[in-house]
Amino acid sequence: MAHSHRGAEGLLSWAAHDLEPYVIQKHHSRLKIAFVPLLLGSYAPDMMSKWFVYGIHIGGWDLKASDPVQFHRGWPGVGFTHSLLYGVVIALLFWRVLGSRTWGISFLIGQWAHAITDTGDTVGTMLFFPWTIHIHFGAWAYAGQTGRMTDAAAYFSGPGAVWDLVWIVLGIYSWRVLTRSYFEEHVFTADAFWSKANRFIPVAALLVMYRVAFFYGTSRWIAWSLWAHVVHHYPYDISWGGPHWVHAAHSPPLTWPQLAGVAAILAAAAALAFGSRLDIGKRTLAAIRSKT
Amino acid sequence: MPSKRQLTVAAGYAAASAVYIAIGVWYTDFLLSFWVALAYLLLVAWLIPTGVRRVF
Repeated sequence: MAHSHRGAEGLLSWAAHDLEPYVIQKHHSRLKIAFVPLLLGSYAPDMMSKWFVYGIHIGGWDLKASDPVQFHRGWPGVGFTHSLLYGVVIALLFWRVLGSRTWGISFLIGQWAHAITDTGDTVGTMLFFPWTIHIHFGAWAYAGQTGRMTDAAAYFSGPGAVWDLVWIVLGIYSWRVLTRSYFEEHVFTADAFWSKANRFIPVAALLVMYRVAFFYGTSRWIAWSLWAHVVHHYPYDISWGGPHWVHAAHSPPLTWPQLAGVAAILAAAAALAFGSRLDIGKRTLAAIRSKT
Repeated sequence: MPSKRQLTVAAGYAAASAVYIAIGVWYTDFLLSFWVALAYLLLVAWLIPTGVRRVF
């Protein structure tokens, strides 16, 4: 462990992770989704790890990972929090321990959205952990190891900022999910959490709590952009892998056998999904025939 | 299209966001915590309006 350069540290995550749950919520049609575990899933990977990437000050101690990239995304480290398997394990815990299938599925969707989104940077995620290769598209620079401020400046100067903006636009396009009527008809009724909370907190306050991640993500995107470009004049570089003025961390490119392995996993998943759909279709058809 | 009432609510949130952004640009630690954002929004979008409505 190395010493942190700053005092009391909070979490810095990207706006996409705040906004994805609202957009996902708008597009769910077949699955019953609960918003709280969906948001929790979307935050979970960084909640477990990012404080130690930038450093934290507790009492007289400054704690910080000596190799932030390895700690955040690697193994050994807590990079498994950004894997598909981690989402499945926590979802099963929610399902079996808390007895809520809806919480399990919702957490899974949120966590998978985060893990897949983070494959967009130059380090990527160990999506298929325990296979420890990093799936990465290299669209924007990973600069967590440079410290919170440089990381923020870099992210909000490159394609990452554009990616966040896409989610803000999609979030605004999904504006109906933020209305009081949507909250009361869909969100409140989908999860007992809200009715339990309503014993102590009025609906008006719960509605504000429901909207906060949208508010937080959008406001923070604007604030960090202003901070980076109006106050500090960092240059924009939205070219692929940018901004190139920052010293980005990189994962090695995948070898051909690794790519073949990834393709095999994806093909197996697609076959499973297709097979289960076919099975559901056959059962539905059989049920309709038995009725007629 | 959103109704007039929905647009009024959105304008209220936009105003709250403008203040949050102004504080955040000046003091970036304000932007770092989800819980700070939650407390801030509860204060400006629920507690203060509720208090004002009760007084007037």
